[in-house]
Amino acid sequence: MATSPAAVEARQLVKRYGNLAAVDGVSFQALRGEVFGFLGANGAGKTTTLRMLCGLLRPTSGTALIDGIDIQADPLAAKARLGYLDEEPFVHPHLSGREFLDFVADLYRMPRGRQREERMSRLLNLFDLAKKDGDLIGSYSHGMRQKIGLASLLIREPSVLLLDEPTNGLDPRSARLVKDLLEELAARGTTVLLSTHILEVAQALCRRVAIIDRGRIVAIGSMEELREQTGSEGADLEDLFLKLTAGPESREMIERLLDTGS
Amino acid sequence: MSGPGGALRVIVGAELRASRNRLVKGNRTRLVALVIVLLFAIPFLGGGTFTLGATAGHFLPFAVDPLLAAAFTGLSLLMLLIGFPTVIASLFVGRDLLQLVVAPVRTRDIFVARLVTAMSANLLISGVLLAAVLGLGAGAGAPLIYFPVGLLLIAVQVLVVTSLQAILMTVIVRWVPARLARDVAAAVAGLTGAALYLTWNLSLRQTFRSRARPDVSGLTSLVQRIDWLPTTWPGHALSAIAGGSIGVALVWLLATLLLAAILVAMAELLYERTLLAGLGVFGDAPSIWRRRSTARTSQTSPQRGEGNPYFAIARKDWLGFRRDVRRLTRLLPALLLPVGYAAALSQPARSLSGFWSNIALITFLSMFMASALSLPSIPSERRGFQLLRMAPLSMWLLLRAKVFIAFPVVVATMLVFSVAVAVISKSGAAQLLELVIFGVWLAAGFVSISVSGGAIDPRFDATDDRRAVGLVGSLAAIGGSLGFAVLSLGALALFLFGEQAAGGGANLGPIPSTPAVGFAMILGGAALLVACAALVGILLWIANSRLRSFEASIASSS
Repeated sequence: MATSPAAVEARQLVKRYGNLAAVDGVSFQALRGEVFGFLGANGAGKTTTLRMLCGLLRPTSGTALIDGIDIQADPLAAKARLGYLDEEPFVHPHLSGREFLDFVADLYRMPRGRQREERMSRLLNLFDLAKKDGDLIGSYSHGMRQKIGLASLLIREPSVLLLDEPTNGLDPRSARLVKDLLEELAARGTTVLLSTHILEVAQALCRRVAIIDRGRIVAIGSMEELREQTGSEGADLEDLFLKLTAGPESREMIERLLDTGS
Repeated sequence: MSGPGGALRVIVGAELRASRNRLVKGNRTRLVALVIVLLFAIPFLGGGTFTLGATAGHFLPFAVDPLLAAAFTGLSLLMLLIGFPTVIASLFVGRDLLQLVVAPVRTRDIFVARLVTAMSANLLISGVLLAAVLGLGAGAGAPLIYFPVGLLLIAVQVLVVTSLQAILMTVIVRWVPARLARDVAAAVAGLTGAALYLTWNLSLRQTFRSRARPDVSGLTSLVQRIDWLPTTWPGHALSAIAGGSIGVALVWLLATLLLAAILVAMAELLYERTLLAGLGVFGDAPSIWRRRSTARTSQTSPQRGEGNPYFAIARKDWLGFRRDVRRLTRLLPALLLPVGYAAALSQPARSLSGFWSNIALITFLSMFMASALSLPSIPSERRGFQLLRMAPLSMWLLLRAKVFIAFPVVVATMLVFSVAVAVISKSGAAQLLELVIFGVWLAAGFVSISVSGGAIDPRFDATDDRRAVGLVGSLAAIGGSLGFAVLSLGALALFLFGEQAAGGGANLGPIPSTPAVGFAMILGGAALLVACAALVGILLWIANSRLRSFEASIASSS
């Protein structure tokens, strides 16, 4: 199982809703200890792909493997290895921060005791939530909810993290903390599949990226490989992304709008 | 905005379009059901109330004034209790208010536009009063002017009560968060509605038995005691018209209109000040109490060994129920009905005694309790279901956890009730034991079936527990529960009569009371029990496979 170098593998994943193919034959591999970027415009199919990889959605066809385990064939074993953070993480509003972490730890059958309590306290301190750990999550700000969602993943040390916009709503200090944390986790062998709109984050963190457009992977590889594929020497990720997901020229559209308005 | 009238038109127009879209583009099944209910309710309820009013007006002409005064006062009280949540939601809680407040719209326009929405629940309630008032006028042979004035006064009364509610809320919101006030008001409204329904239903039974002439002396003395209340003024105005005293009527009418004008102006002024103070949806007042921090104090689960998902889900649900006023308040009225019915019907005076009536009561109570508690238990996870789906748990474990959470509550209620009915009906210990065993069996079955119903057709995106289960799930739960009840009652009957037949002491009509017949009956009872278990098993199996493959709201939420 764990002999494959790929910690996350999508093999020809397809998800159809009637005639609409939200995801259309997506294949890629995220290697062990790698931060892998998964980029795409709104509605490109990022979240649907991530939800198929973590077993929330059943693919119309294709296979999703976590640490070599087919998540549809053996969901419990695959889920025990991964942690998924949704774009808007669900956190029970009527539990306190500490109670929520306790709840998640119990769901994953983590051994109770001092070690677990200490890890919980360390995470709450790390995310600056220790002083609010007794308050109901319903009273937390958006950023605090995002942080408690992240803490609920990290408490159980999964070997694979699937993160959908993890820095969404975080203040600059917390966003920096998350970036540093992901780098450190990857250095220790955790695989991070990062879906984000913030291309600076992807460029800074990801060894390789895949770009999805209208349900299909249009490019995959390191920055250098992407530049080679597109023939754009010296281009940054933003330029590459715009080139690969070419739509109507935005500058032209803005000018037209402003001309009409004046 | 083009002007004050323009802003008002735009806001009310948008509200109307939104309502139309909710109806037209919403669930077609619900729309059809609503139309059918209205088609039946309007002639039945409206016609019935009109006839009642007309009969009273015709046969009790001397009681027209107290009847009208009491009707206006009673309905005002009802509007005050039942319509309050709508007023709070329309004027103080709706998120769309933020958009109106930041737009260049005068507060007065916002108030007036939202007042129209705020009055909707009170207007619906006043429909009952309208039918009664018109019927009373027709029965008493009132002049034609009585009817339009009656209509006007009812509309004014709705305005008065709604303005009073707005005024009360501008005071309450200074100390209590608006959302909490709305939830508590919803609970009061729900309990009032349930209590009224119960009272009406039970008094209806009493009425059918009673042959006595109605005595209005109590009503007359009551109205004399509350005559100072402004809620009686429209009633006096109408009775004066009906009696031909136009001058007196005019005085009462003007007093009512003046009061309405004062209350509306006060409400508008206070509402404006509330908005300026940044209360309600714009930033709640600091609560008059503070919730105790749960840190450390809530560590109640065992501190050693492996984490247990069962306990985790149970504890989470328990804490959620305790802390979510809204869920609790929706459950209370649902629980009032069975307990109220059962308590009322088990009174010796109702002449429903004996073992089988106790069994029927227990069956009804446990079915209702299980449905109220367990049907929404899985859909009420809402987006939290994703968390459970992501965890390495089987959906079978989730179903079992939900059954085991609701089961003790239903069983505890059953036990209390069984003991109560056994004591009231002077049943012996053996019958009490039979009641308890049967109650536990029913509770296990009904809870499992209700949990399955919720899991078969969950609406995880519903914000209200009452709409959290789709039609298929509700039908599965109701059908399954009825089937389980019939099979269980059949099994119990076969066991009890079979035992008597085996001893040769049963009266089975043409069937001989022999040991062979008794044995066959007991075997038949056992077969029915197996059928019960199979029914529960099948529903749980369907629920498990539905949850494992559920995608609907997961795919659409982002």
